[in-house]
Amino acid sequence: MSRPTDLVQGTLDLLILKTVALEPMHGWAIAQRIHQVSGEVLQVGQSALYPALHKLEQKGWISAEWAASENNRRAKYYTLTKAGRKALAEEVTLWERLSDAISLVVRAV
Amino acid sequence: MRWRQIVRLRLRSLFFGRAADEELDEELRYHFDREIARYMAEGMSETEARYAARRTMGGMEQRKEECRDSRGLRWLEDLLQDVKYSVRTLAKTPGFTLVAVLVLALAIGANTAVFTVVNGILLRPLPFQEADRLFLISQVPNGLWFDPGPIMVDRDYREFRRYNQSFESLAALSSAAGRKMTLTRQGEPTVLTASEVGPDFLRVLRGQPALGRAFLGDGQQDSDVVLLSHRLWMSRFGGDSKAVGKAILLDGASYTIAGVMPATFTFENADLWVRDEFRADPHNVYFIPVLGRLKPGVSPQQAQAELATFAGHMPADRDFSGKGSVTRIVPLKDLFVAGERKLLLIFAGAVGFVFLIACANFANLLLMRGAGRQPEIAVRAALGANRWRLVRQLMTESSLLSVAGATLGLLFSIPGIRALVALLPPEEIPPGVELRADMRVILFAFGLALVTGLAFGLAPALQATRRQLREGVSEGGRSVLARRERLRSGLVTVEIALALMLLTGAGLLVKSFLQMRGVNPGFRTMNLMVATVDLPKARYQTAAQMRAVDQSVLAALASVPGVKSAAAVSFLPFGHGVMGDFQIEDGRHLPEDYRVDKPEISSGYFGTMGIRILKGRGFSERDDSVSPGVVVISESVARRLWPAGDAVGKRISMEDHPNAGDWLTIVGIASDVRQEGLSDRTGAVVYQPYRQIKMPGFIERMSFIVQSESQATAAAGIRSAIRGIDKDLPTESITSMGSIVDDALRGTRSQARLLTTFSLVALLLAAIGLYGVLACSVAERTHEIGIRMAVGAGRNDIVWMIVGQTLGLTGSGVFMGILGALALTRVLAKLLFEVTPSDPVTFFAVTGMLITVALLAAFVPARRAAGVYPLEALRHD
Repeated sequence: MSRPTDLVQGTLDLLILKTVALEPMHGWAIAQRIHQVSGEVLQVGQSALYPALHKLEQKGWISAEWAASENNRRAKYYTLTKAGRKALAEEVTLWERLSDAISLVVRAV
Repeated sequence: MRWRQIVRLRLRSLFFGRAADEELDEELRYHFDREIARYMAEGMSETEARYAARRTMGGMEQRKEECRDSRGLRWLEDLLQDVKYSVRTLAKTPGFTLVAVLVLALAIGANTAVFTVVNGILLRPLPFQEADRLFLISQVPNGLWFDPGPIMVDRDYREFRRYNQSFESLAALSSAAGRKMTLTRQGEPTVLTASEVGPDFLRVLRGQPALGRAFLGDGQQDSDVVLLSHRLWMSRFGGDSKAVGKAILLDGASYTIAGVMPATFTFENADLWVRDEFRADPHNVYFIPVLGRLKPGVSPQQAQAELATFAGHMPADRDFSGKGSVTRIVPLKDLFVAGERKLLLIFAGAVGFVFLIACANFANLLLMRGAGRQPEIAVRAALGANRWRLVRQLMTESSLLSVAGATLGLLFSIPGIRALVALLPPEEIPPGVELRADMRVILFAFGLALVTGLAFGLAPALQATRRQLREGVSEGGRSVLARRERLRSGLVTVEIALALMLLTGAGLLVKSFLQMRGVNPGFRTMNLMVATVDLPKARYQTAAQMRAVDQSVLAALASVPGVKSAAAVSFLPFGHGVMGDFQIEDGRHLPEDYRVDKPEISSGYFGTMGIRILKGRGFSERDDSVSPGVVVISESVARRLWPAGDAVGKRISMEDHPNAGDWLTIVGIASDVRQEGLSDRTGAVVYQPYRQIKMPGFIERMSFIVQSESQATAAAGIRSAIRGIDKDLPTESITSMGSIVDDALRGTRSQARLLTTFSLVALLLAAIGLYGVLACSVAERTHEIGIRMAVGAGRNDIVWMIVGQTLGLTGSGVFMGILGALALTRVLAKLLFEVTPSDPVTFFAVTGMLITVALLAAFVPARRAAGVYPLEALRHD
């Protein structure tokens, strides 16, 4: 199994940051939320999810704490940090510029 | 906030990796369980749901590994892992680990001990502000027959003070080492080291008295004042602040205590400083050390140039010698460490050799270990470890060993420093120097260790990982074996060469010591006690007064029970005599640079000292101030100046332009003594009866010699005899003639001991190295030895093969070592006594010793080789 490419990785980071921006969430809920919000198009496998979460935590963009979950078990909840909010804004800008550019290219032909 | 989180997380993953892993487990399990729940909610059975969840989760372990990677600090984790692994593998081979650590500890310990001494003596800053601006100004007249050190002629100095532009302040000293003065009426009479210094002495050094005041400047009314050292103030004045302003008696004259210096202020060995303006003395010329502090912004080169210009402008008639002078600017520090520097550098060099030998040993041990670990390394490489990773692992091991060696070495250095200080001649350790391991020393030890671990670990690590996979796994590759052995043999050869060089140096010093000890000084050394008395000028002005005191002391000594004989002499052998020339009545001149010692003696001197009268007579009580002048000359003077053997009856004079009454008749010839010291082979001495001396300067200092079976009786007798004559004369310096001679041997003895110690350590290390290489070679060649035996070689042939290998290695090491020793032992020339630096006997002896040790080291490996069973050996692979 190969590692996610940079593009996908960067995109997944953006999706995670955007999702946890709403409220603290554990890993499984993040995957479910992305799945639902994307109209069941994006399926985030945990093979990509957890390494990404840990990497973002190491970068200091999200912080984690253990809390009781909706089914009354201990789960690790991720929260967007101040640095993460800034990074999210940058990632969004970057993404919008990129997707605009791709759209332009795709429509031009 | 963010950084705090990052640091916390990284540290956590580093030190609490297991906890982090457990949390990860839990997090992933939670996800897994929620997936199952989701599938079940979609209508699957539990088994189906679990299966589906597992399918989407993929390999759990791989996930974890990816998460771990994302935690960062991978390299540090690797390092910790390397260290853990190294500790485990080193613990598995305790023999190797012990030898490697001990070899390094020995070398690092020895080096650290020597460095501590060098650090304490040579590298320690002087206890003065901006001490690097302090210089001695030296303008030494050409044509002197001795080296006065960095000095100026006093009248040149007075001239230079007016001329000087480079120095902000200048101060002269009477002499660098100071002179002896007797303090009386302040407890027991005691001899102190006093330094007469110019008024600006403290201004130059930027010292401040702790109590009282400094000396007033030049030309101001401030005579007969002294500053006490803290040491003297504590010991003789009880640390009483009322001492300031008090009058004390030095050599019978009264001085006022102006102040007390702080404990941190030391200058050579001085107990006190006497203010002296060094006024012109038209009758005499003095050589005085001159101290100066450079003005800010003036370089020593500029000052040197100014001094040279000054000397160049000196009018010819003012020139002391008429032959010009040599000018130089000497850092003050050189005054304090002049003698020590060369000696310490020689020791530092010697111990550096020991270190190099240990390094070569260390590298060899690692090489052999690397060879033994070939299969393990090959397996690890096959499992995917890249070479860099393997090299890093091996170097972690070598660094770990060297750090352990440094730690142990630092422990070794503690007794090492003590031993070194005991071995060093006490005069090599300047006063006020404290020798202990400071931060610099500790850094030095670990610096050495790190360099060793990395530099000497790298080559073996590269060597060990060089072999390709297949070779290692299948144990083939005999050509690699040969290359490895070449490297090892090369290292051992270097070790042997270095050890031989050290042994040669030590051998030369040992031989010097033996030669010196074997020297017959020409006088009795047993049962003689000596006390030297300085008669204070303030109370004894005329020669007649002095002679009277000497006579009464001698009379008192003669009546002490147990005293066989007593005598007096102005300059003891091995002391610092006055060398000079004389005139011969027949008008012949003395050979160029021919000088003799001129001690003034009592009539009992020859008998007491055991010096034989070979011809004519010695002195008698009748040779007094009113009888005709007589001398006794030593045999060597007689042989040199009257080779026909007709010296007795001839007349000489001590005056440069003798009048009729100045001629002295040679009445006898005495056997030669080494008057100036053990190395004084000429022994040129002209004796005069002290009772015929008219110049008080020659006899103001007298040594009384007493021959007695019991040292205690003699010492007590001398003390009470002198007390009885004048209770203000100090009697502390009572010693035996034997210990005076022994003192003369001390320097060479301690140098020989030190270098011998180092060279034996070196020899031991080289022997260990040789043994290791031979043992390893025998082990690797078991197969070959087996074949040789199978085709008919006897056990003797095998032993000879190993002996041959030993001699080959030793031979090339000895060859290199002899060349190196020939080049290097020259630095010892000044320390040697009647031995040339290339003394063939010494070279032969140490080479023989080294080869013997080498053969001993080969003994066990040779036996093991001879004990090989061909059948087993062939099954070896």
